[in-house]
Amino acid sequence: MLGRSIPEFLCDIAERRPEKIAIVSDERSATFSQLYEEALATAECLRGIGVETGDRVGICMEKSLDQVSVILGVLCANAVVVPILPRLKQPNIRHIIENSGMVALVTDSERMGEVVEFGDLARLIIGHGQLEQDWPNLPYMRRFIRPQMFFNRISNDNAAIIYSSGSTGRPKGILISHRNLADGADIVAHYLGTNEDDRIACVLSFNFDYGLNQIWQTLRKGATLYLHNLALPNDLFALLGVEQITALPVMPVIITKMFDKRLKLATGQRDFSSLRYVCSTGGRLSDDMLRDLKTTFPDAKIYSMFGLTEAFRSTYLDPSKIDSHPTSIGKAIPDNQVFVMDENGDECPPNVVGELVHRGATVTKGYWHDPESTAKVFRSHPRFPGETLVFSGDKVRKDEEGYLYFLARGDEMIKTRGFRVSPTEVEVEVVRHPEIVDAVAFAVPNIAIGEDVACAYTTVTRQPISEQILKQYLKANLPSHMVPAYLIHFDSFPITGNAGKLDRKSIKEAAFERLRVQAAVHA
Amino acid sequence: METAMSELQILSQYIRDETGYEGELAADLDLLEKHILDSFNIVQWAMFIQAEFQIELEAEELVRDNLSSLSRVMALIDSKRAAAAKPN
Repeated sequence: MLGRSIPEFLCDIAERRPEKIAIVSDERSATFSQLYEEALATAECLRGIGVETGDRVGICMEKSLDQVSVILGVLCANAVVVPILPRLKQPNIRHIIENSGMVALVTDSERMGEVVEFGDLARLIIGHGQLEQDWPNLPYMRRFIRPQMFFNRISNDNAAIIYSSGSTGRPKGILISHRNLADGADIVAHYLGTNEDDRIACVLSFNFDYGLNQIWQTLRKGATLYLHNLALPNDLFALLGVEQITALPVMPVIITKMFDKRLKLATGQRDFSSLRYVCSTGGRLSDDMLRDLKTTFPDAKIYSMFGLTEAFRSTYLDPSKIDSHPTSIGKAIPDNQVFVMDENGDECPPNVVGELVHRGATVTKGYWHDPESTAKVFRSHPRFPGETLVFSGDKVRKDEEGYLYFLARGDEMIKTRGFRVSPTEVEVEVVRHPEIVDAVAFAVPNIAIGEDVACAYTTVTRQPISEQILKQYLKANLPSHMVPAYLIHFDSFPITGNAGKLDRKSIKEAAFERLRVQAAVHA
Repeated sequence: METAMSELQILSQYIRDETGYEGELAADLDLLEKHILDSFNIVQWAMFIQAEFQIELEAEELVRDNLSSLSRVMALIDSKRAAAAKPN
C-alpha cells in the first residue's frame, strides 16, 4: 500500500515506534502500538455488530482516548466517521443521523439518555464509560478480541462526513476522502514543522477538521498528543509548563478564555520556553489576543490560519509577518492555490474585492447527497479543465505582495451610502477599543442609504460603554461611512455548536430583536 | 422564623439558578464532568465564590480541582479562612 490513508499512517508508526507514547489523557495514556491494537479491535467489534464497508458511523462523544480509538477504529473498519458534537440540539442530531444514513451511533454511556430516542434509526453503541445491559460496549468488547488489520480502502474512498452549519438552513455534510485527510496531515505538518519531538496540547474538539487534523499529524510524525478539556486557564498553563508542550493549536474563542482578565492567571509562574508555536484558525486574531500570546509565550511563533471545511485549510500567515501584516490571513498552504476572482471567474487586480477560490489537494469531494449545493460551491474553471475548485463565497482581497485579507462571508458585505463595507474591517477597529473584547458588525436595512452599519460588542467588564463616547472613539478611528449607526452591547456572545466560532447568525438575530424593542419604545 | 442559608445551600442555589440544573446535587458531584459547569460559566462561578465569601483566589488556587464540586469549594473556602485567621 502507498500509505495515503490514516489507517496506514497508524500501522506504519506502530511498526516504527511501537513503544512511544502517542496519546496522553487524564484517564490513561497509550503508545502507538497500543493505539493501533485498540483501533483494530474496535474495528473488529464494529464489524461484528454489523458495520460494513462504506457504512457511516456517528461518533457523539466527549474528548477522551476512547474517542480517538473509536475514530481510528471506524476508519480501520473501512467505514466513514461522522462526528456529532455532544451539545448539539436534538433536531440537529436527528438531521445528521438521517441525512448521513448512519448505521450506528457510538456515544458515551453517560450520554446514552440523550440519544436513546434515535435507537430506531441507528444501532447505539457505547464507546466510553460503564457497561450497560442494553448496548454493546466497545472498551469492554475490545478485551476479548485479537486485533487484525483488514483495512482495504483506496485513498479516493470516503473517510469522513463533517457537518457544518452554514449561515442558512440545515447543516450540510462535507464528504472527505482518505487522501484529503492524509494530504491535510502532510501539508500542515510541513509548514508547522511537526516532528516526533513535538508534544501537542489538544484543547480542540474532535468534532471538526481542525481538531481531527491534530490526531492525523500525531500519527504521521510520531508526535505525542495531550488531550485537555479547557475549563480554567490555569490548568492549561500548568499542562503547558509541566509537560513542556511544544505546540498549541487554538481558536480565537480559546485565546479569549485563556486570558480572561477577570481571573488571576498563572502565566508568570510557568516556564513556556519549550513552546514552539501557537496556531489559530476559525476567526481573526485581535490586537489584544496577539499581545497576550506574545507576552505570555515570547519564544513561540504565531501562525494565523484560515480555511473552510469544504477545502479544510486555505491559507496561513508566515509567523515572521504577524507584526507587519497582523490582519492578513496570509497566503495559500503548500500544494494548494488561492485566487481572488470576480463574477466572471477572472482574477481581481491587487486590492480589489473578490471571491476566495481554492484549488488543490485539500478540496473535498462535495456535499453528501446534495448535488444542488455541491454544484454551487464545487465547480470547474476553464483555466483548469477536469478539475474541481471550491468557490467559497467568501469575500477577500490580495495586496500587491500577494497577502490575502478576509473581508466577509459571502452575504455579509454591508452596502451603505454607495460604499461596500467589510464587517471584518469594522470589527478590527471596534475591538481595538481597550474595553471591548469582541465585536460582530452587520447590516441593518435603511431605505434612505441602502443599509446602516450596526455592531454588537462585548466588554471586559461586561458593562456597556456609553454610546456617545464609543461613537466618538470610532469616529476618530474609522472613515465616517464605516462608523456603526447602531451599537449593541452583549454580556457575552453565543458560540456555534459545531466549531466553537462566534455564532454570528444568533448574535445578529438577538441584536435585531433588541433594536426592534428600542425602536418600539422610542416610537 | 427564617434561618440564614448554609454555605452549602448558597453554593447549590447559585448552581441551580445559573445553570437551570434540576437534578440531584451531591456535594461531591463533579460539576464539570457532568457538564453542569463548562468553560463559559466556570469563570462566573469563580467570581461568585470570591464575592460571596469575600475571599481572593490566587492563580494557583484558580484550578479545576478546587472548583469542580461543592465539597471542594467548601474545603477551599475553609482553607482560605484558616490561612487568613492565622497570623504569619
